[in-house]
Amino acid sequence: MLISDGTNAKALLCQRCPCRILNPLKGSFVRKEMFLPHMKKKSETQAPTDGETLNDYWLVHDMYTFENVGFSNAVGNTKYLICADCEIGPIGWQDTQNPKDIYVALDRVRHE
Amino acid sequence: MAKKTYDLLFKLLLIGDSGVGKTCLLFRFSDDAFNTTFISTIGIDFKIKTVELGGKKIKLQIWDTAGQERFHTITTSYYRGAMGIMLVYDITNAKTFDNISKWLRNIDEHANEDVEKMILGNKCDIEDKRQVPKQRGESIAREHGIPFLETSAKSNVNVEKAFMDLAQAILNKTPSKDADGHNKAVDIHKSESKGRCC
Repeated sequence: MLISDGTNAKALLCQRCPCRILNPLKGSFVRKEMFLPHMKKKSETQAPTDGETLNDYWLVHDMYTFENVGFSNAVGNTKYLICADCEIGPIGWQDTQNPKDIYVALDRVRHE
Repeated sequence: MAKKTYDLLFKLLLIGDSGVGKTCLLFRFSDDAFNTTFISTIGIDFKIKTVELGGKKIKLQIWDTAGQERFHTITTSYYRGAMGIMLVYDITNAKTFDNISKWLRNIDEHANEDVEKMILGNKCDIEDKRQVPKQRGESIAREHGIPFLETSAKSNVNVEKAFMDLAQAILNKTPSKDADGHNKAVDIHKSESKGRCC
């Protein structure tokens, strides 16, 4: 089970390195539609902005709740989250107009 | 609301000439072929890292100048709330070392007077192109009473140690009352978002 009482039952770790992103029970499960560029190059013809729409996120209300995380520069009103150690990303995003709402995509982290 | 899960928050800055490898100190694998170009194209604003020192859980918020130094726009707003500064030069480029004194004056002028500093001679993996002997780095650091390390972001020499030493120096002079640290932390955050929105 990933969800416990509406929050993440397990710690969130980077998919590529051992970096710990968020401790258990610190994010609330929310469904929200958001387009995120791919983390990996899947084909030679892939453009940097190619990506997918993801719907399942852990919502965190304070950036200092994260154990380790990086924020990209803003593109429009969006800052993207990356792994603080190996910098793979985007693993989620922050809307700079609602900076207290920070979203981590379930599909882009390990749960352990 | 959930209670705070950390004891202290330290804001750290990386300062120095363009090209000395500040970004690499913070962003170790930014040229890794595994990454798509998306993140490297837009660049990284800051990182939050959690470390444990002296039994305290400390959040480090680490900022890079992101090229502002080219336009000589590093002023008070950038330094606001900074508790530690990494002053970086490139051991293979003498000019960047000569500018250390200039940066020290800039810090004196704009940063809090009690900010902790550390001088880093970066790129120490490129020994055959070295222009600045280690002794010169040690000597200017001693002159100003600032700790000094040679680092290599590329070979990961002393990078972790540099951040831990700087954090330790800030911790050493932080009042042991946690509440103080928390209040400070909140203030930093507020002034930060204010400073960066315009």
